[in-house]
Amino acid sequence: MDWLEEIALRDRQSIQVILASKSVDDFATDPRLGRADRLKRIKEQLRRLRFPRLAETEDAIRGKIQDLKLHPEIRVTVPPGLEGGLLRIEFAAASHAELKQLATKLTEAAEEVSMPEIFDLLGGHTGK
Amino acid sequence: MKQFYPEEVIIEPGSEASPIYRNLRRSLPDVPFRFADELARRNGDGGSVTDHFGAAKKKLYLAKHKGEFFKKCPGSDGQVCCNYFVINFASNCPMDCSYCYLQEYLADNSDLKVFSNVGDMIDEADQVLRKHRGMFFRVGTGEITDSLALEPLTGMVGEIIPYFAEQPNVLLELKTKSDCVDSLLEFDPKGRVVVAWSMNPQAVIDRDEADTASMSERLAAARRCQEAGYRLGFHFDPMIEYPGWEADYQAMLEAVFATIDWKRLSWLSLGVLRNTPGLKREMRQRFPRAELLTGEQVLCPDGKLRYFQPLRVEMYRKMVGWIRRAAPTVKIYLCMESKEVWQQVFGFAPTCEKELGNEMAPGADSAWL
Repeated sequence: MDWLEEIALRDRQSIQVILASKSVDDFATDPRLGRADRLKRIKEQLRRLRFPRLAETEDAIRGKIQDLKLHPEIRVTVPPGLEGGLLRIEFAAASHAELKQLATKLTEAAEEVSMPEIFDLLGGHTGK
Repeated sequence: MKQFYPEEVIIEPGSEASPIYRNLRRSLPDVPFRFADELARRNGDGGSVTDHFGAAKKKLYLAKHKGEFFKKCPGSDGQVCCNYFVINFASNCPMDCSYCYLQEYLADNSDLKVFSNVGDMIDEADQVLRKHRGMFFRVGTGEITDSLALEPLTGMVGEIIPYFAEQPNVLLELKTKSDCVDSLLEFDPKGRVVVAWSMNPQAVIDRDEADTASMSERLAAARRCQEAGYRLGFHFDPMIEYPGWEADYQAMLEAVFATIDWKRLSWLSLGVLRNTPGLKREMRQRFPRAELLTGEQVLCPDGKLRYFQPLRVEMYRKMVGWIRRAAPTVKIYLCMESKEVWQQVFGFAPTCEKELGNEMAPGADSAWL
């Protein structure tokens, strides 16, 4: 509810107008979604409306992580709200050979152009 | 700036011997004074008021402070600390900034109070400063009040400047949003007193800093103090992000550096808008239309809401860049920020609070601030 009120204050719109907007209403009326999923999607959409630049930055980072085409065993995430500026990399290896293989994949990913761009986004270099 | 006048002054019995009492009597001849002990005061006031915090600013209490005066600034969990100390000679403030953290911090103790036992305060400071002569102290008086807003009425700062001006190991900082500096000009601070202004563009002052001095009034007062031999500081805190903020903050900085001699500035600090979830609730109640409530703030590990990190790092970098163009070697530090943010903004972070604190000492040759 706070998010709705804050969006309404910022955008000088009523809460009804916000909830009736296409981006929210599409989820609210999607027959393929169960109630729990519907609420989850609506909440996420409201989050994107409330925090548009944070969402844009998170999307950009997510896109660049996908561009790395990492091995599915290597998980790369950023903290909630991008606080801390750290990129977290996790993987598990069941053998020495697997560890070497994953480390090599990670080293290759670190050389991709997307990797420094992720750190640029985390570090507030938007180029704007 | 419109001078604050209380509707009433309430005196705790025993405070009449204080120089502050005499100053209040002299400066407020037309304001009713009454004596009341603590119990009667709490029973008698404000039963039907909805905005207790705002209502509390209308009366002024003079009472003895029973706790410690001289304390370490609490800072914030896990953030880089600047080794600041505070002396609280008053509690609460006659101004009404929408983002003021006192709305939460003093919610249960909101009486606007000035402390009568100035002698105790100076004795306490003296004990600490004498015991640690080898240590440099930066001591501020604006933690839970505005250092100068009540000065025309109380003369408090005039009572303490002569003491601090003689101490070799201290800089006393008077942080304010007022232009109440007339009485300061009578004293020789001997290089030991910094008068520091919290600054924002006029657009922010108009929206969110009710009953404070205008930007030009603050700058005019700053110039007068600098010409009278006072060191100066500026705190660009809280920085508010909104459409057009860059142009407004650049214009503000141009005005600052056009008014004062930056080479004689002691320090500048930067800090973005910070609030706890509890403070945000208070703000929503008292200032429901305040647009700064709509900023993209996220909860940080220390429990405070701030603009998300890439956004605020970008803000800091821009401010530092604009400041450095006008004042290449002025000392700049961040208030209540993490080592990661320091690293992203400056390319380094202080290793400990003493390092940062010592950089602020007069004559400290800062390699990196």
